[in-house]
Amino acid sequence: MIQKFPHWRRPACRNAFAIAALVAAVGAPISFPAVAAGDHPAIGPLAARKAPKASLVEMGKRLFFDVRISGDGAISCATCHSPTQGFTRQTDKKDKPMALSDAYPGTRHFRNAPTLLNTAYKADFENVGWGWDGHMGANLNDVMRSEITETMILNMDMRLMHERMKQDPVYVEMCQENFGGECSSGRGRKALVAFLETLVSKDAPFDSGKHSAAAKRGQTVFEGKGNCVQCHNGAYFSDGKPHNTGVAENLEIFKDPLRHIAYRAVITNHGVPKADMWRRDVGYFLVSKDYADVGKFITPTLRELKYTAPYMHNGVLSTLTEVVDFYDQGGGHDDPLPNELQKLGLSKQEKQDLVAFLESISSAKPVTVEKVKIPEEYQPLPDWVNVHN
Amino acid sequence: MMKTSKKMLWGSISIVTILLLGGAGNALAEGDPDADPPLAPLPLPIPTVPDNPITDEKIAVGKLLFFDPKLTGDASLGCGDCHDPKQGWGFNDPISRGYPGAVHWRNTHTVVNTAYLGKLFWQGNAKSLEGQAPTANMGAVAGNGERDVMESRLRQTPYYIKKFKEIFGTDMPNLGDAWMLIATFERGGLTQLNSPLDRYLNGDESALSETAVKGKELFEGKANCIECHNGPVLSDGKFYNLGVPRPPEWEEFGMNAITFRWENYAKGVREEYYREWKDDAGLYYTSKRKQDIGKFRTQPLRYLAYTPPYMHAGQFFTLEEVVDFYNEGGGDNEFTDETHGFNNKTKILKPLNLSDEEKETLVAFLEEISGEEIRMPVPQVPPYAVAPDVPGLTQAKAKSIGLETYLSAVAQK
Repeated sequence: MIQKFPHWRRPACRNAFAIAALVAAVGAPISFPAVAAGDHPAIGPLAARKAPKASLVEMGKRLFFDVRISGDGAISCATCHSPTQGFTRQTDKKDKPMALSDAYPGTRHFRNAPTLLNTAYKADFENVGWGWDGHMGANLNDVMRSEITETMILNMDMRLMHERMKQDPVYVEMCQENFGGECSSGRGRKALVAFLETLVSKDAPFDSGKHSAAAKRGQTVFEGKGNCVQCHNGAYFSDGKPHNTGVAENLEIFKDPLRHIAYRAVITNHGVPKADMWRRDVGYFLVSKDYADVGKFITPTLRELKYTAPYMHNGVLSTLTEVVDFYDQGGGHDDPLPNELQKLGLSKQEKQDLVAFLESISSAKPVTVEKVKIPEEYQPLPDWVNVHN
Repeated sequence: MMKTSKKMLWGSISIVTILLLGGAGNALAEGDPDADPPLAPLPLPIPTVPDNPITDEKIAVGKLLFFDPKLTGDASLGCGDCHDPKQGWGFNDPISRGYPGAVHWRNTHTVVNTAYLGKLFWQGNAKSLEGQAPTANMGAVAGNGERDVMESRLRQTPYYIKKFKEIFGTDMPNLGDAWMLIATFERGGLTQLNSPLDRYLNGDESALSETAVKGKELFEGKANCIECHNGPVLSDGKFYNLGVPRPPEWEEFGMNAITFRWENYAKGVREEYYREWKDDAGLYYTSKRKQDIGKFRTQPLRYLAYTPPYMHAGQFFTLEEVVDFYNEGGGDNEFTDETHGFNNKTKILKPLNLSDEEKETLVAFLEEISGEEIRMPVPQVPPYAVAPDVPGLTQAKAKSIGLETYLSAVAQK
């Protein structure tokens, strides 16, 4: 199937990336896993990453938990990418996971918060689309800027973040240690990127080759009969491209005025025509403005699925069994746009094995971090009148 | 040669000056920098911009929008939260509360009688109420609203959809029209007509007490307030540095210091000033001229009794303190005391040598002309509702407007 890409999104040479990743991970000699026919990179273990400076990671971690880098000081990155929830999704007041995060107060978001685990690997892709709809981001620092300033996310003024950091003696010290100078929002974003670099899968059975027999059978289905590998490929298990699988609309978006407000605002802001009329998520159309792309979403990674339910861009599928059933039936029906899937005719056993495989590409134990405690109020600076701003 | 040109230039300037002043019909006393229009009743009809006439219907919808928190970032506060009817349509803290998680850096102005002002904000940087509203609703430490979300909220509110269509003829509310409506409410709903000062100036001598009349004489005479506080709104619309002292908040509270630095950065000062200044440079942020550093727009004095505290950062809590300040010939701040190598203090202020009784009569005048308080209950704002499906939308029509997949989404309901 021919995809239409805008100029900045020409298909990248991902084979080279995957091979490089494998070389880095296992060293020579390389034995390639069995690859189904197709031009996609092989699945395999994640390459080891060079750990960023620990003190920089600490600074990023503190910012990650700091509600004061949101416009009204109500939420932090950790609110929608909760470390107790696989760095995905928000939990409600009863600590129940939500399919759609609320995000910034006064609006409610209309998509399922993607996990931050392994995002650093996604950043290695060339010209990859970010978020579910594939909007542009030059690099992780740039994506971070966009998440912090976006109206629906943290709705923060970058310079206000800069000045808030300068008012906190802990950040002042951290900036001094890591950058040898005063705090800035740019340095804050660098620290957040460093923290993100540490959010990676750990001890996934598949990566060590120690996955169960069922999982190994599931891998055969994944790469063969199921043809999941067509889009979920490479060590990151994603081609980073937009596809329409016919996932049903989550009509909660249009039944909840606050979500509809957020949705309309985002598509308006991105120049989607007839923003008041749409009653479905336009997906990649938001970027391409090609009606053939309505309902396409960027292939998500499959790593950490065990800890990151519910699934799909709008959280309509709750379990991996449901997900596998969905694909077995050839995805959803999206008339008149054809979706790209075909019925698979998997046996019950094959489906179970596939679920076992999907679970084997999750960390052995949930990856998490300790919450950082941060004071709510800013203190005055000593001798303010006489020191330089 | 040079000398001649200079002389000619000065000659021309003098002639122009004489012509201008002659035209105004005022002879200037020695040392008087400009003509002082006399105090006057508020002229009627209430002024507005040509494309936004005042109607009762627009006032009514504008009033709802004024109090509606939908037009800010997190929908937690509306115009009426910083311009509170119970606090003189202003805010009775020295520094305005600002957006949640932040704080403002100046004192909130009252909205009452702003229809008559051509320069809004302490810096005079908004030229109309239509221009002032979005600046307040979108500033990061004020409303922190984003256009897309605010407009989307209006479009999710059936009452506004209906009313905007009736008023502006649009199928869906446009955010720009919301500012028009808010401005109309401010003009038509918050103008104080027939105040004691208006009645007095229109010939009703009983409108002011004897003390207040004496205060008025001082105001126009010995105290020379009229030098700047003149005309119908008691403001010349010009900018002065009175030497009002730095407010203590920036030094005492971390959050205020953050906003102070942020404002200096956001208003575009060069780094040297960002690093060194510890006070609000006022008009300079607009003009970027050194002689404007620390100057603020002359405050209109109508409705004054309801709007303490006073000055651009609420430095004085009572009118007595304000009168004392002027009686002493104003004060000093870092932009008048050569801290940065210059003195921008206005030459107009001089010690006044007012007696205690004179000060009291001056305060009495200012209080009496404040008139009746404008109070009104905060209205219920219209609720959001689920947006209906687009009626009569056939598959063919959907395709013609680019919504090929619309019907299939509905079918899944």
